[in-house]
Amino acid sequence: MEKVTFDSVQVGQALPSLSHTVSQETFWKNAVASFDYNPVHCDPEWVATAQPFGIPQTVAHGMMTMSFMVSVAANWAFPAMLKITRMQSKFVRPVPAGTTVTCTGVISEKHVISPGKNFVVLELKAENQNNEILGLCKTTVVFPD
Amino acid sequence: MNRINFERFFETEKQKIFGTDFFADAEDYEAWDEIDFESQEDIPGEQTFEVKAEDLKYYAAGVLDDNPFMTDEEYARNSPYGGLIPHPVFLTQITFWCIGVKGRGNWIRTPGARNPGQEVEIYEPFRVGEIIHIKMRPHDRWIKRKKYYLNYKIDFYNQDNVKKACWIVELVLPKSKEDIRKFIKGIRGVEV
Repeated sequence: MEKVTFDSVQVGQALPSLSHTVSQETFWKNAVASFDYNPVHCDPEWVATAQPFGIPQTVAHGMMTMSFMVSVAANWAFPAMLKITRMQSKFVRPVPAGTTVTCTGVISEKHVISPGKNFVVLELKAENQNNEILGLCKTTVVFPD
Repeated sequence: MNRINFERFFETEKQKIFGTDFFADAEDYEAWDEIDFESQEDIPGEQTFEVKAEDLKYYAAGVLDDNPFMTDEEYARNSPYGGLIPHPVFLTQITFWCIGVKGRGNWIRTPGARNPGQEVEIYEPFRVGEIIHIKMRPHDRWIKRKKYYLNYKIDFYNQDNVKKACWIVELVLPKSKEDIRKFIKGIRGVEV
């Protein structure tokens, strides 16, 4: 297992990013994975007129965008046995099919409490191919010792 | 929505029995202006969720995450975790399953709803073999920039009543049943 200690991490440290280009197939599979079959994600015919977001296209589940962002944290934390304990997300723009979602993360806060309770806050961000922000997520990661 | 063939994606037992048509029971969904905030008693979900390896693996695949702690049973078994661990947002799957169709909280299925952001706390990761149940209660409802926000606080417990997680699940909703009916017909029922 990769050893990441509380002493070794620094505010401002960037985490490895990830990118996914999403399609209607991605939305359908995510609907099956989450049991969220809302037509705004799944039904192109319906959304052409209903347009909950004001656009005639299906959009990604917010929880999928949040999952993409949190994956940046998990891929860093899980191999080091760090615990993700809190996630606060905000969705800024809808994510239609064809969007390339790039997620980045940076350590923004380092909370020095006591061994076993020390934690960092990550600021995660999802952007599209035009560098427009799609979503933000603050995630707390606790160090076990 | 029956015109969409989801069956080609199905791999787990739960997926084969969970209804995919969110229009079918929409007349029974709680509307924003119908939520009862008077009683603050815990509301149980419609059903419990038995965590299976296939559920964890499919959720990770559905969010395009190939992290072996979430997807590779042998790799995870031989790690300090001793078995698969869920993607941190896996509780989405549990929530839609447990709330079900007819019970309180079914507004999360509303056609026309929009997701403004979410707040989740995880106390212990869900593990394979656990039987999860939820308790929920209305938490807040407000109007901002002509949008109708609603959230419920949902607590997740295992079979030993160990609290595993808490989610303040929040959506922007159509205000009334009449607005939901517009959406069902394919007419926008909210201001954007």
